[in-house]
Amino acid sequence: MPYFSDTDARSIIQRTYEAARAEDRAVADSLYAPDELAGLPEGAVALALGVGNPVRHAGVGPGEIVLDIGCGAGIDTLIAARRAGRDGRAHGLDMTPAMLERARQHAALTGFPNVQFHEGLMEALPFADASIDVVVSNGTLNLSTRKSRALAEMQRVLRPGGRLALADFVLGETLPEEILRDPTALAA
Amino acid sequence: MLKRKLANVGFVAIATAERRPFGLAALGRYPLFPPEFLDFVRQAIPAERHDAIVDALVLTARKPG
Repeated sequence: MPYFSDTDARSIIQRTYEAARAEDRAVADSLYAPDELAGLPEGAVALALGVGNPVRHAGVGPGEIVLDIGCGAGIDTLIAARRAGRDGRAHGLDMTPAMLERARQHAALTGFPNVQFHEGLMEALPFADASIDVVVSNGTLNLSTRKSRALAEMQRVLRPGGRLALADFVLGETLPEEILRDPTALAA
Repeated sequence: MLKRKLANVGFVAIATAERRPFGLAALGRYPLFPPEFLDFVRQAIPAERHDAIVDALVLTARKPG
């Protein structure tokens, strides 16, 4: 039995991410190599809120079409866009308009021509079947109250042979119920 | 469980590319966790788990074809 309804969960998550402020590069420096961060806007680097480096593990290459689900302020989308190059494309998807606005500002600062951002839900991806070469997601799946539905959507939009790299938190041992019921834990 | 969910929706070649423990210090880097929440977690979880409250996992998989 979920502790939060879909509506409540989305509202809590959106409020939390809208309120997130860039403080320092500590998260980004722990996840990305210096050459991956070089040339990216400081705001995108400081608002890295993921838990891994899925673009690196996906092996994104030139000419590929990449979808970053839960793109936040855009750091993984921008890294993917650079790796995909002028013949490729990186799409960032997020459900929080305030984060998309930040991501679009950061993309404009890079001047990368092959980046697009989209508002939408991971459980109903606004992309055609088999239209994506690589799906990445960084610290996002845990925010869904319908994880199997979100995974099925990732599978649907990937072309046959397409790749997925998914970074997220998992629990080795369960947490006390008072933490699981806490909205801050849900949002993060 | 996540690997099983990936397999259930049709992914293949599912592999763990990376697994790292995340403790209170690592969680404290994120602006999503205010100090009062971290204090709450510190009190709610036994001290021996403070260095590994969750695992950060990167899974890779492929769509058949």
